[in-house]
Amino acid sequence: MNAAVGSAEKVVNDTTVIASPAIDLAFVDQTVAVHGGGPEAVIPILQAIQTKYRYLPDAALQRVCELTEITPSAITGVSTFYTQFRHRPMGRHAIQVCRGTACHVKGADLIEEAIALHLGLKPGEDTDQQGQFTIEPVACLGCCTLAPVVQIDDATYGRLTPQSVPSTIRGFARRGSEVKSTRRDLRKRDFSTSGSAVGEIRVGLGSCCVAQGSGQVFDKVQEVVTSIGAAAEVKRVGCVGMCHQTPLVETIRGDGTSRLYCHVQPEQVEEIVLQNYQPTGIVSRMRTSWSKMVAELYGRENGAESSVEAVSPKEGPVCEFLGPQKRIATESCGDIDPLDLSEYQRHEGFVALKRCLDELSSDEVISEIERSGLRGRGGAGFPSAIKWRTVRGANAETKYVICNGDEGDPGAFMDRMILESFPYRVIEGMAIAAVAVGAHQGYFYIRAEYPLAVERIRHAIAECEAAGLLGDRILGSDYSLKFSVKEGAGAFICGEETALIHSIEGGRGTPRLRPPFPAESGLWEKPTLINNVETLSLVPWILRHGGDEFAKFGTETSKGTKVFALAGKIQRGGLIEVPMGVTIRQIVNQIGGGVANGRRFKAVQIGGPSGGCVPASLADTPVDYEALSSVGAIMGSGGMVVLDDTDCMVDIARYFLRFTQDQSCGKCTYCRIGTKRMLEILERICGGEAKKGDLDLLEDLCQSVSSGSLCGLGKTAPNPVLSTLRYFREEYEAHLAGHCPAGKCKNLIAYHITDACIGCTLCAQHCPVDAIPAVPYAKHVVDVDLCTACDTCRVVCPENAVEIVRRTNA
Amino acid sequence: MPKISIDERTIEVPAGTTVLDAAEQLGIEIPTLCFLKGYLPSTSCQVCLVRDRASGKLVPSCATKIVDGMQIDSETAEVHAARRTALELLLSDHVGDCLAPCFFACPAHMDIPLMLRQLGNHDLHDAIETIKRDIAIPAVLGRICTKPCEKGCRRSSADDPVSVCELKRYAADADLASEHAFAPECAADSGKRVAIIGAGPTGLSAAYYLRQRGHACRLIEATVQLGGRLRWETDSETLPRGTLDAEIAQIVGLDVQVETATPVDSREAFEKLVDSHDVVLIASGADAVKMSDEWSVDGSRRGIEINRETYQTKRENVFAAGCAVRGKCLFVRSAADGKEVAGCIDQFLSGQKVTAPPKPFASRLGRVATEEMKQFLAGAASVPVQTPNTSDDYSDEQVAEQSDRCLSCGCVAHGDCRLENYAARYGADPNRFGTRQGVYEVLGRGGNVLFEPGKCIKCELCIQIASQSQDALGLSFVGRGFDVRVSVPFDGSYDEGMGDLAERCIAACPTGALYFDRKAE
Repeated sequence: MNAAVGSAEKVVNDTTVIASPAIDLAFVDQTVAVHGGGPEAVIPILQAIQTKYRYLPDAALQRVCELTEITPSAITGVSTFYTQFRHRPMGRHAIQVCRGTACHVKGADLIEEAIALHLGLKPGEDTDQQGQFTIEPVACLGCCTLAPVVQIDDATYGRLTPQSVPSTIRGFARRGSEVKSTRRDLRKRDFSTSGSAVGEIRVGLGSCCVAQGSGQVFDKVQEVVTSIGAAAEVKRVGCVGMCHQTPLVETIRGDGTSRLYCHVQPEQVEEIVLQNYQPTGIVSRMRTSWSKMVAELYGRENGAESSVEAVSPKEGPVCEFLGPQKRIATESCGDIDPLDLSEYQRHEGFVALKRCLDELSSDEVISEIERSGLRGRGGAGFPSAIKWRTVRGANAETKYVICNGDEGDPGAFMDRMILESFPYRVIEGMAIAAVAVGAHQGYFYIRAEYPLAVERIRHAIAECEAAGLLGDRILGSDYSLKFSVKEGAGAFICGEETALIHSIEGGRGTPRLRPPFPAESGLWEKPTLINNVETLSLVPWILRHGGDEFAKFGTETSKGTKVFALAGKIQRGGLIEVPMGVTIRQIVNQIGGGVANGRRFKAVQIGGPSGGCVPASLADTPVDYEALSSVGAIMGSGGMVVLDDTDCMVDIARYFLRFTQDQSCGKCTYCRIGTKRMLEILERICGGEAKKGDLDLLEDLCQSVSSGSLCGLGKTAPNPVLSTLRYFREEYEAHLAGHCPAGKCKNLIAYHITDACIGCTLCAQHCPVDAIPAVPYAKHVVDVDLCTACDTCRVVCPENAVEIVRRTNA
Repeated sequence: MPKISIDERTIEVPAGTTVLDAAEQLGIEIPTLCFLKGYLPSTSCQVCLVRDRASGKLVPSCATKIVDGMQIDSETAEVHAARRTALELLLSDHVGDCLAPCFFACPAHMDIPLMLRQLGNHDLHDAIETIKRDIAIPAVLGRICTKPCEKGCRRSSADDPVSVCELKRYAADADLASEHAFAPECAADSGKRVAIIGAGPTGLSAAYYLRQRGHACRLIEATVQLGGRLRWETDSETLPRGTLDAEIAQIVGLDVQVETATPVDSREAFEKLVDSHDVVLIASGADAVKMSDEWSVDGSRRGIEINRETYQTKRENVFAAGCAVRGKCLFVRSAADGKEVAGCIDQFLSGQKVTAPPKPFASRLGRVATEEMKQFLAGAASVPVQTPNTSDDYSDEQVAEQSDRCLSCGCVAHGDCRLENYAARYGADPNRFGTRQGVYEVLGRGGNVLFEPGKCIKCELCIQIASQSQDALGLSFVGRGFDVRVSVPFDGSYDEGMGDLAERCIAACPTGALYFDRKAE
């Protein structure tokens, strides 16, 4: 369960064969030379050591202590706090299993079990006997629309099923070492042709698009364009937001007309290119292939339908999806190359910063922010202008700005998408903030699970420095501003600002009592402005268009737009940006196209582990800080997971409690022990072992933990329980009576094969634990004692003869 | 200077003062576990919560700086409930017995582990003092007791229980035989007079403890000899009369007025006693109930009716205990009753509210697993149990060795543990969140310092203190969340972790998680 701690304590099966690499202490010396020897260097040093050895050998850590100011106590405390760090060797490949909300409701537990079964892991083990694979549960990979997701090394696999697990792992192993990185950032990207009227082919390459095969599509587009000499530039663009349609290819012809292709497979690329661009400079070899292609196409036009068809953004699902959205934080989504600074500048990039430096006083900038009504997008919704003004007014020579990119809510990935797709926008927003408050140093704190975001921000900072947008005397002013990146190391709590500060300072990510607030005493006890990624990404637009223009969107107290990660049991999942004030129903039905698979819309989980479940009956609640909290949810960072009637609300509450309990830093009693006790009660309820009085005790605990915990994590941890108790109390009571109405809680259900069984033996063949004896042409029977409720039989049955029934004697 | 109020009491304190300090200046005691003056508040235990009226929020007083005009609630039901819950949560994760199982098994609640430790150190004099704090007639009981303590001994589930009763007898015999036998100090004369009807185990014991509190005792026995059922329910082989007489003599020697052959067999005789004494204690055994009408007290088939909390009959100055109220009971129960009723009578005589002897707060381990038993056994002598034959008593070495078989189940910090004391004060229920799940373990065996992670409340004090040492390896939190624990970097020992500051670390530990191994001294 608790990977960070478990790894330090549990002993792997002795027979596990894992070659410990010889410890090359010279590497440690070099690392220390690179990162310095101050206490704040501990996390980067540990990350470097872990990258080198794939775990943290004691000898290396001791060497670090000899060479630096880092004490044995500090290095031990820090290296065991963050989930990223391992203290024992791991297998050659890491299988990260996402435990995010969307993955959870789509059966991540079953995936994890299937992987353990495939690798032959015994309880407590995480690495297979051959030392090939190590399984590592992670809080959220941020690919929620592809749920359930696993990442093997740096390859992401989405929409897994327990049945597809073995082939996925085998497939990965077969790819072997010749496979190239799925990150396509640093490769040569300009691919212009000699033609005059140059079109553009845009391929969305967000992390989750890549997981859906966009990388291969991108490669194929480049290959085809080169080989036929099409007059088109191939352009990588960031996340388009339509995760349900990926891989996505958009073609812009020389005349400006555009077409959008969804679910593109590499073998369709050639046809897409040919539909839109005339080949030029054709060599004879190409000519042959071209004629062949034309013939094929011709054949199709005469009879069969074309294999690829463009979808129109003007009508149909894409229109419905995009229609109600308003893009500010995600402006130019799908249009611009994330790393092309000049393109960002052509889209008015850094105009706002220039104005802030040349024309506006700090007060004027902050007033503009105040007029916009901007509130923090990270969760709590604190008015940004107040924070800015406090830091501005703080009497200190040194001040800092921090961009909080430690997006950790399972089910939310907008910050990753913004960092990956619009790095310059976030940099500009943060630069404006820095100038406004008088800070000359800024840090991006980005979670370790987002390597692409880290890479792109690093790259963008370097580009900005080269262009004089960052560094000494930026944009010709006398203002100097330096930004750098600090990577998180796997701790949700570091999204809490005081914990984040401790982490940057090189400590364990434990929060402290506020006040004093970071705006008064933050990083290294200096006044520090901390804003979330999305908040900062809105700033340039506000400065360009004016605060009043921003405030035109939204409600009385909630202005502008909000980005949501729409996922779960929905037709069209994706990353959306909507004006505040739209209702949950509009989002679910119109943008999301309603609940998938014809199920009944039950609730929406908003705000992740600090949020709550809004029942379908309250779906007309608008997206508004106050309105959402009045129904027991919170705006949060913007995770929106749609639930249907097969989702058990007690299980959902337990899921979030597991998360917060696992992520608790362990500092204060209420959170450390209180969340554990709450979880135990929820486990009992889901397991059908609840005692009389457990519900009352649970409610009491919710109240106590929320009022007694030190920081926001503990204070809000009970919210998922409270909101489900508020709206779905009867489900809790049903569990107390031994019944899970949604048929989800394993201890309360049984698989039963009905008379519709035709004896095809498919279920028996697929059952991973041999709980169904194969009896051809006869009705099959599930051995309830052996059954692990993996759901495989129900999925493979061609006759729908497997049903989930109430378990009679547990 | 900023002015704040705590529980409606106002005080002016300099800016930067914490609420905790301000409260202290007002004489309001706020409980703290993780806070120690001179160290950074870790705001971990959350037992020092107070309520800030402005925000309505509970805040840790140790780290909350005062703000002018602040209004704080400390002694309210809400705040107390929050403190209690914090304590209950800590206790739900607490692995250890405050008091050893033998404490609860012994009706007299004698501090058996302490006695054994003293005997283990060849400290006979301290041992007899420990024994006599709860048992007035140890040489007698050492021969006739049915030994409920040994049945409760944790070691009985591993091999055999510690021979508590034999060792107690040994100590008592040795004391009787010594030139300077132990004699408790008696307080100055209180001016109060107690008549005790019956000189059996209950009456004798009551006299022993009442005299120590300065009350005059008149022991009235119907027969010609003192001892009551100790005499007629035992044979002289099991209980040599010399021993019995010697121990009775020790009690009487505390200036107890004795009247033998004086049955109180009439209403008049009883009322005369009542009139001439401040309290009358009925300790005349099972037959006492037959006199209930004569003595104007209620009786039932079992015995004389009393308030079970206070030992008072319906007449507030008439008390009853032992077989007189129980009909039938163990000798040790009678002796225990004598001690307890003496306490109640003392409360009555000094004008206090008469209450039941306080039930100590106790976190309890309950059943231990085999692996846990190994942890216990590792700290005890591994010799098998031995009982002396009648002619040849234990040798000094055997006494020490047999005493060292004790598993020291109770907590070293008992009585001195802040968690225990606050739990008692706030009425915390250690089982509110279920029975314990943590595993009992003792780390650091072989070194000077032992650490019981199950008792650690993660206050961070030892970590802070150890970090000040120049030569120590330091201590560190390992892991996070519920599983976080205090450990020594790079597999060092706890001695290495704390170095020269071990004593300070141990003194700072708010519970009994950290201590010097007594055996290592």
